[in-house]
Amino acid sequence: MWETVAQAVINGLLIGGIYALVSIGVTLIFGVVKIVNFAQGEFVMIGMYISFFLANQFGIDPLVSLIVSMPVLFVVGVLIQHFLIRRVLGPNDMPQIFLTFALSLLLLNLALMLFSANYRTVHTSYSDEAFHIGGLYIPVAKLIAFVVAMLLSGALWVFLHTTDLGKAMRAAAQNRDVATLMGINPNRMFCVALGIALALAGAAGSLLMPFYSAYPFVGQVFVLMAFVAVVMGTLGNVIGALIASLLMGVAESLGIQYVGADSGLIVVFAMLLLTLAFKPTGLGGKAR
Amino acid sequence: MKKDRKASVASTSAVSQVLTKRQGRREFLIKTGGVLAAGAFGAVPLRGWAADPVNIGALYPTTGSMAQIGVGCVAAAKLAVEMVNDAGGIKSLGGAKLNLILSDVQSDTTVTRTETDRLITGNKLSAIHGCYASALTLIASEVAERAKVPLITGSSSDQLNKGRTYTFTPFARASQFARAQLQMAKLVSDKPKVAVIFENTAFGTSTSNGLRELAPAEGVEIVMFEPYSAGFTDASPLINKVKSSGANALFSVSYLNDLILIVRTIKQVGLNIAINGGSGGFVIPDFYKNVGKLAEGLQGVAHWNHDMDPNCEKVNAEYKKRTGEFLFEYAGGLVAQTFMIADALERAGSADPQKVRDALSTLDVSSGFAAMAPGGKVKFGPDGKNVYGHPVGVQWQNGDLASVFPKEDARAPLLKT
Repeated sequence: MWETVAQAVINGLLIGGIYALVSIGVTLIFGVVKIVNFAQGEFVMIGMYISFFLANQFGIDPLVSLIVSMPVLFVVGVLIQHFLIRRVLGPNDMPQIFLTFALSLLLLNLALMLFSANYRTVHTSYSDEAFHIGGLYIPVAKLIAFVVAMLLSGALWVFLHTTDLGKAMRAAAQNRDVATLMGINPNRMFCVALGIALALAGAAGSLLMPFYSAYPFVGQVFVLMAFVAVVMGTLGNVIGALIASLLMGVAESLGIQYVGADSGLIVVFAMLLLTLAFKPTGLGGKAR
Repeated sequence: MKKDRKASVASTSAVSQVLTKRQGRREFLIKTGGVLAAGAFGAVPLRGWAADPVNIGALYPTTGSMAQIGVGCVAAAKLAVEMVNDAGGIKSLGGAKLNLILSDVQSDTTVTRTETDRLITGNKLSAIHGCYASALTLIASEVAERAKVPLITGSSSDQLNKGRTYTFTPFARASQFARAQLQMAKLVSDKPKVAVIFENTAFGTSTSNGLRELAPAEGVEIVMFEPYSAGFTDASPLINKVKSSGANALFSVSYLNDLILIVRTIKQVGLNIAINGGSGGFVIPDFYKNVGKLAEGLQGVAHWNHDMDPNCEKVNAEYKKRTGEFLFEYAGGLVAQTFMIADALERAGSADPQKVRDALSTLDVSSGFAAMAPGGKVKFGPDGKNVYGHPVGVQWQNGDLASVFPKEDARAPLLKT
């Protein structure tokens, strides 16, 4: 009995790590630039395809291709902020929503056109391996993904709280006008925030590749969970998003185990509803 | 037709502009004109002395979502016609050759209707075969029935045997697949305890309900019956459940992506369970390419397999030489169908579709290429169903599909891993 529960919790935490990478990106963009990036899932998809092609063409391990996918998507993020998002930042939210939503549709259909709807998998030596402890098992690929996801989240926290650039970014997030008066260029901060957020999505893609298939719609699966996590963990709160993602992973896993294999998401959304009913600002309290 | 001509005019003039520098326009026109004419009228020896060729229609989706399978089917259809012709054609018609008329139904039901219509009205056809997907074949069959042209197909929908007189189905019906799957579970264990997991839309629900209804009669206990939503991120919780159900066989009614996750997770858990993935996309070469070594030992059901008898292996070897892949279920079946049509033509002694239909209805073969079917016998009942028809159980072994069930068709033992 306890073994089944423990296994379900382990499974949930491991997949929660991936949800965390995606949702931290969304929450960072919202916290700093104050826009909702609907295309975040598509950048996970791009990260996966980068890793897939590097593995397929050059035999590079998906975990190693992290050092390619992250910088590439960082640059993409900076360019998107500089050339697209900057132009729609203003008092009106609608153009921003349309922009990121259009970006999502564009990237999705571009991927369909270029890569077709086929599923692409990468097979690594550790894809099917698992550590067995007693009656429990921990898949190697997912454990690696989880550890790297936690390390990246930790690094982001350290960056935001100890470095000048990180502090400046948080300042620009808290009050754009005052930050400008203090000599901070908000647009530069926004570029960095977009870059970091997309780099995290790219990392999620590369980390997923050893155990998940890449296909054009793959981002949609993860972005839904990310949005729930972002709301549950308080919009703009990085630590909140992280904790909410892990909680959701566990809730989904327990839901599948004890409610039904097609009702994992029901438990997740029930959790979201309860959170909104009793703590409308989210579990994280306030944006940080 | 008009469009074609325009296109070819445009392309020749473009080419000629490039070539005028080196060759005269006249010389160019003579050359290309000759080639074009040869293409249009068929660059074949004059046929005046031979019997008129017999037209066979082939409807397959060579574009659209099913294109990959359709292209394989067309390669097999061409191979089959060549085999009949090389063996001397239809002797009772003075050695008449089969002439394959191809049509692309574009994986689309509307196109299937218009293409079938166009094929029948535009050509004097003796018989048709097609169209891979049951949804397409049902439509083509309707059109063929109305035009009174016999249609022979490997599609498995039971509906094809209802109220039709020109439609013939030499292979297993959809309703027979579930029973075969349950019987295979009994090979794995004397007391089969089956876990059924299925994606929760129409495809998964209807297939799994069929399994559940038949299970008691086959003496198979279903210990878990669980729908899941397709496109999940993590199969572990589901496999966790399968593990705690104590099942020794798993039927997974899944789309490819989910199946890959399920198989991987089972390996990680170290769960020792026989997996049966059913038919369709599971028994084509592409499946192994996508799943790799993990596919080893997975079981499925098919209406045809390339190792059933020496004739199948002979055709398979030739097909493999041409395409690089083994002859898959549907393509193999349609080679047999072509020979069934040839057999009917031979006995009818006429290319008239009505007479071919009558000859097909009395077809009774147990040897040769026309008998390439599980059980090795084909004879049509009044509903157009092969009275001996049954599916063959298959298992992925060393990157190839081996027939393992039933005993009379088995060519390799079932590996219980």
